[in-house]
Amino acid sequence: MCLGIPMQIVSIDGYNARCAAKGVMRDVSLFMLQDEPVAVDDFVMVHVGYALQKMTEQEARSTWELLDEMLAYDTDMQET
Amino acid sequence: MKTAQDWLTKIKALPLDSRVRIMNVCGGHERTITMAGLRGALPQNVELIPGPGCPVCVCPEEDVYLAIQLALHAGVIMVAFGDMLRVPVNVPKSEPRSLEQAKAAGADIRPIASPQEAVKIARENPERKVVFFVAGFETTTAPVAAMLLEGIPENLSLLLSCRLTWPAVAMLLDSSKPGFDAPGFNALIAPGHVATVMGPEEWTFVTGQHALPAAIAGFTPVSLLAAIYSVLRQSIEGECFLDNCYPEVVRPGGNATAQSQLSQAMRVVDANWRGIGIIPASGFALAKRFERHDARKQYTGFEKEGRKRVGEMPPGCDCARVVLGKIYPDQCKLFGTACTPRTPVGPCMVSDEGACRIWRASGVKSCSTV
Repeated sequence: MCLGIPMQIVSIDGYNARCAAKGVMRDVSLFMLQDEPVAVDDFVMVHVGYALQKMTEQEARSTWELLDEMLAYDTDMQET
Repeated sequence: MKTAQDWLTKIKALPLDSRVRIMNVCGGHERTITMAGLRGALPQNVELIPGPGCPVCVCPEEDVYLAIQLALHAGVIMVAFGDMLRVPVNVPKSEPRSLEQAKAAGADIRPIASPQEAVKIARENPERKVVFFVAGFETTTAPVAAMLLEGIPENLSLLLSCRLTWPAVAMLLDSSKPGFDAPGFNALIAPGHVATVMGPEEWTFVTGQHALPAAIAGFTPVSLLAAIYSVLRQSIEGECFLDNCYPEVVRPGGNATAQSQLSQAMRVVDANWRGIGIIPASGFALAKRFERHDARKQYTGFEKEGRKRVGEMPPGCDCARVVLGKIYPDQCKLFGTACTPRTPVGPCMVSDEGACRIWRASGVKSCSTV
């Protein structure tokens, strides 16, 4: 459950942001980052729909690669 | 930037003459370790032990039972993260043993992926009572606190089974005192996203009070191998310090806003861990200002007098010792036989963060093939 997914902010409306990860869009709350400057195009680590922390683009991309591998693996191995 | 292979080469070059048993306390770590096959790639005297890293696995049986009863008999909409739906309780075969079975029996139970969905469902159903049953560590509890402070509808209440991670590790380390079992590990990989929220400083008791090597890791094989290298090196040199191998998101002090929100919405209480017992100051309860949203106070009298095996793991299930890192998943006699991801007996085979499920779903048949 502590799995985090890096996402890029596409638009911001108050504490709510529209974020993207590899073409998938999600609504993400910025409530936990309200004391930090957060802007469109920033990358954030998202867990259960809430941004926990900001991160760099390079860090986001390396995590995406890992998640891709895990998903491919899961499809092969789940429910054995 | 170093690759996984670079780290493995560095690890293999270390003059390691004694066995180092490294515990992790995060299902996400165990997943990467198992999936990437790190155990087989490391020197033989390095052990990687999955510890208390699964909040669903330690969620009290009584709480799951209460959630099932509320869903069946209180006319509520029960919402919970998907992991919770298959966790079994101890009831006669004629009764629903999980939220999933209660749903099949007609209860209104809806899996959600975010606290915001709980708010949405409550807003869309103003005539109904909605209960959000939530088990999680600090990483999940902080968003729940944010949800509360942002404002929730009156018809939404919480059945909170949230826990703090570090007190379980502290309990294991304290049990190394004379007269108790040895903790079973002598180095720690600390959880990356818990430290992102709560700050790395929470874990300095491991290196300070207990003089054990510790490092915070992220979730890529590279970050985990960097942390493993760090604790091995600390062990060899006999100098312990809390290393941060996940600086991408783990900053000194953590997320201060999230911590402040947690302390406004929750209070820390003694809490029961399934199969383990009460650990002091290891759980969250709603702060007084949110008590009217506390499902435990709203709904009472649902526990059945004299119910057999209340609070325990299912018969024959060794999840409690798996969670504490006392045995590996495959040392439970049900692993892979009676208990599989398709037909789970214990919570560690149910949750995506449970060590048993991670091992089995990754094709691990026994420890020798890890």
